[in-house]
Amino acid sequence: MITAGYICLAVDRVTVSTQTMISVLVYLSDAVTQLLEHKEEYTQFGVIRYFAEYFSSVKNSNHVLFREYNYIRATPHNRASFIRVFWRCYRQIGKSGDLLSMLEYRSLLQLLCPDFPVEVVQSTTRIVLMEDAIDCLMSFSDFLFAFQLQFYYQEFLDSVLVIYQDLLAGKSPNTVIVPTSTSIEQLPSVVAEENDKDGQQQDGVESSTLAQCIDALCDRFKHSHPSRSCMKEILHETDKVCYYSFLMNLAKHETINQTIGALPSKDELLIDPEMDQELDKLIAQISVSPSSNSSGSAVGGLKEVQRKASPRRNIHHRRKVESDGSTEETDSSEN
Amino acid sequence: MMRRSLYVSCFPAGLKSLPLPLLRHGTSTAMADKEKRRPGVTPPGMSESKATKLDSDREFLSQAGVGELLRGAILKMVEARSDDPIGFLADHFCNLASESETGTAGCGDGDQLNNSPLSAGAQEQQHLNRALWHLRLAHHSQRSAFSNNVRVAYDLLNLTGPLRQPGEVPEGPDGSCTDSPTTEGGGGGGVKGGLYTQTLQCLCSEGGVPAATSAPLLQRLHCQDHEAVPYDVFRHGVLTCAVFSDYIRQAQRLYAEVCCPDEGPASRALCLAVLGTLKEALETSQGCDTNCCVNANTKANSCLEVNVNAIRYLEASAKISPYKLAQAMSGAQTRGPGGNMDAKEFENAAAELFITRVKVVS
Repeated sequence: MITAGYICLAVDRVTVSTQTMISVLVYLSDAVTQLLEHKEEYTQFGVIRYFAEYFSSVKNSNHVLFREYNYIRATPHNRASFIRVFWRCYRQIGKSGDLLSMLEYRSLLQLLCPDFPVEVVQSTTRIVLMEDAIDCLMSFSDFLFAFQLQFYYQEFLDSVLVIYQDLLAGKSPNTVIVPTSTSIEQLPSVVAEENDKDGQQQDGVESSTLAQCIDALCDRFKHSHPSRSCMKEILHETDKVCYYSFLMNLAKHETINQTIGALPSKDELLIDPEMDQELDKLIAQISVSPSSNSSGSAVGGLKEVQRKASPRRNIHHRRKVESDGSTEETDSSEN
Repeated sequence: MMRRSLYVSCFPAGLKSLPLPLLRHGTSTAMADKEKRRPGVTPPGMSESKATKLDSDREFLSQAGVGELLRGAILKMVEARSDDPIGFLADHFCNLASESETGTAGCGDGDQLNNSPLSAGAQEQQHLNRALWHLRLAHHSQRSAFSNNVRVAYDLLNLTGPLRQPGEVPEGPDGSCTDSPTTEGGGGGGVKGGLYTQTLQCLCSEGGVPAATSAPLLQRLHCQDHEAVPYDVFRHGVLTCAVFSDYIRQAQRLYAEVCCPDEGPASRALCLAVLGTLKEALETSQGCDTNCCVNANTKANSCLEVNVNAIRYLEASAKISPYKLAQAMSGAQTRGPGGNMDAKEFENAAAELFITRVKVVS
């Protein structure tokens, strides 16, 4: 409560966004919760050291691994961090060109976040496969960029879907959005048109109407949303648009990718010589043991997962560091 | 499951003012609500054990001083107005951790540390790093926060004897300390000149000012290594370096505006026009005797003086307004010397305008 007071003060005085301050609150309370859940373990090194490790891992985006779903979606930073972790862990799949099904991607996500809900994976799959044939296989990069959009802008996309469905059903979306005067005037005609083409509903809705509704939605949306200009740009391209093709275009939009800032551009998605080297080393180690090649890459991915430190892990790591008195060698000794 | 209730218990000290029964009631209702949603849980027994756990958690947090720790961190964060609060908190806790870790080590073998010259040097370096860390916390435009940090940095650097440990350094936001005289009795009677000079050098280089550019300024602010630097001089030096770093960055940006990146260096005529405008503005703001940054920061001015200063600053900013600048530049395009001026030369010229207005520390 006292924190909330200070935070309000901060919001008042500082030009930092409210969202950032809410994030700070999330991290402070999570840090304390984690501390209480692992009291004995963490207090050996001192509470201050614990907080230092916790916030450093948040800063370095290492904090979301193996955490519960509610935590990884709690702040924009957590979402971006999770997207990045997902990419870094399974990049190898994209490299090998494997196509995976929705359920397989779900399993991969659940390795990183045990209670990751299937609904988000389903929505992502609909973006990639345009709603039909949901059991088709998907390439890693298609899935990744769609997943990024779906996971990062979840709440916004849900609202857009409601608007879209209302428009499609010929209902006025006024219940969802605060209408501008122009949209009120235009809506009846749109609705009439829509009803005329009953059989062609798959064609989607009038792009300009959707654009207007989305614009109004952005005005009052408290969560983050993709940049308006990108959405306008995409909606201007066609007269009619359907929800999932709109989302697919958004997912592929480089500006949106840059805004989220978790992934490199699509061309550079699979380029990371440093990690390749590490993986080669790991695979070389594993291939000595009698396991097949395909499982080798999966284990490699997992090793990569374990190398990234969660706050909890950091403490273990720290202990190791302190016990042998060196700071830099620990990483290489782990390999 | 426990998240919400624990969150309430996160800051035990801050909740002292609330009646405890009310608090308990609030949290246990929230928990009961949650429990109802879980099948196979018997609420009465559970909530009792939860309540015990809540108590023990609260006790643990207050024993470990978590409330105080977090309150201090948040106050620092608010004070610093960082663009990146998470990064700030990470640095803050890391700094505290290393301080407390080395602090206890220092207590343990304090005598050895202070007897050997090597570890004394290391300690000095540590103090310098910490002082710089404090100086970086707030921008100099946030006057009272900056003054606090300068004070903390000064006291840190002033620690020479084994009598004072870092833990004793007043760090809390105790209001603006600009007018409180230095407590010279406890420390070494002033920061050593060498340390002072090193601090200024670090500030300039961290501020992105090339050593060659800052050298003439440091020459003016220089104190002898053996001298004990009083607080006022220290503050003046630190502030001047902070303002200078900002100024040089602005000058670099100004040059970037004047020159078209594709066409190589900017024309000499244009640069001279810009520098001339800058000089005129600086002269206006300077007034008759004191230099501009000292003028802006000493608070001992009378009301009248403040008004006069304010008017002068307004005049000065009018002189460097985009309109005036554009006027000067369009004039210079038609006449004035030919040739080009490169970024370095422009930076040096701009730096000189500033440096000549800094009074020499005796």
